[in-house]
Amino acid sequence: MRLHARVNGAAFEADVPATASLLDTLRAAGLTGTKEGCRVGVCGLCTVLVDDRPVSSCLFLAGCAEGADVWTVEGMATRAPWAVEAFVEHEGMQCGICTPGQVVAVASMDRDIATEPEVRRYLSGNLCRCTGYGTIVEAALDAKRREREALGHIDAGNHDAEGRA
Amino acid sequence: MTVDALSAPSAGDPVFHAPRTLEEAFDALAEDGAVALAGGTSVGLLVGQGLLAPTALVWLGRIPGLGSVGVAEGPLSLGATATLASLASDPRVRTAAPALADAAAAVGNTRVRAVATAGGALAHADPRQDLPPALLALDARVEVAGPRGRRELRIDELVCGFMSTDLAPDELITAVRVPAPPGRRSCYLRFTPGSDDDYPTVSVAATAVVSDGTPSTVTLAVGGAGPVAYLVPEAQELSGATGARVAGLVADVAEAAARRADPVDDRLGSAAYKRRMVAVWARRALGRCLTGER
Repeated sequence: MRLHARVNGAAFEADVPATASLLDTLRAAGLTGTKEGCRVGVCGLCTVLVDDRPVSSCLFLAGCAEGADVWTVEGMATRAPWAVEAFVEHEGMQCGICTPGQVVAVASMDRDIATEPEVRRYLSGNLCRCTGYGTIVEAALDAKRREREALGHIDAGNHDAEGRA
Repeated sequence: MTVDALSAPSAGDPVFHAPRTLEEAFDALAEDGAVALAGGTSVGLLVGQGLLAPTALVWLGRIPGLGSVGVAEGPLSLGATATLASLASDPRVRTAAPALADAAAAVGNTRVRAVATAGGALAHADPRQDLPPALLALDARVEVAGPRGRRELRIDELVCGFMSTDLAPDELITAVRVPAPPGRRSCYLRFTPGSDDDYPTVSVAATAVVSDGTPSTVTLAVGGAGPVAYLVPEAQELSGATGARVAGLVADVAEAAARRADPVDDRLGSAAYKRRMVAVWARRALGRCLTGER
């Protein structure tokens, strides 16, 4: 089948078998930032965004991305720079193989999440086998703080001196 | 950007259909070996592991309205492709049927809930799923449609055995209706001694209509402890129970739930352990419903 989608903001087309996963399709296209881990939707390494939802791309059939807006870790510097910056600043990684999935998952997290239990709950399906969760959680909390700040600046920028929208 | 590294499609490959109407879906499903999918978390897994080799995949994600959640004169109406994330976060579901909201919020992880659907969870009929016991206890009805018309089934009519359903190959679940009687409390509890993201060792759902402190209709359902989720009809003995009698009756019903269990030994626990845990968690769920404590 012919797949038409957008990936990281650019048009994307591929001839794929009907049973191809989105993970294999992306990696075959050279987008190897998305890693394969458990292949059963548990570990979170292959997390990507499809129409703003975080999905396990190992289980997600490529055909279900027809017409969708897909974002991978390669696009996060554009889509969610606050997440990338926070992971770098807090060193939210050890060996690094779970990092692409962690960054994408944090990008998809509700921007109002501001407490550690909420973050741990949301990210409970993104496993770090180095067990480096401390700095990952710090990075996630800081990422959301940065996102809210960035949004505040945009909101402020849309108002004139008298505060009118 | 285009891809050329994946194996090119060949003549024997399954066909991928994305129907825009139910009728188109029925036509596509009429092909021998065709499989319907919505979020794809079950079908994607089975296909990826080589356990399922469909001749055609029929994706339901493009049928307008099939995923909507509505409230029509009382009952909740859940579109078949409503995601578990949407059920977990919908305030109407939370208010009318907390057991369903809690069951939906407990499935797998964020990524699974983002795409997995109510209809898919029922059609997959894995006895470890969270939704079936909750929907059984809530007395839900499943609307099934096919080329020969529509019919309505209880959960225990739809799911008729280990990973098997009463659905014909060309039939689809189109909606799940959940009664929402006033004054009904409900809760869903799952026992996950390993990881919270895992399937439960056992799970229980209880409901009770309580007025002036006296329960009338009381239901209890159990998951993970047999080939299918099951109801515990003895729960109705709690109807009208008050005061000092309640604790003893709850214990009796919990033991009845354990007697009705038909568990197997697996990595989630031995059969004997699961049976004991059914009694423990049934007692807790009934206690919460009858006292209203969270």
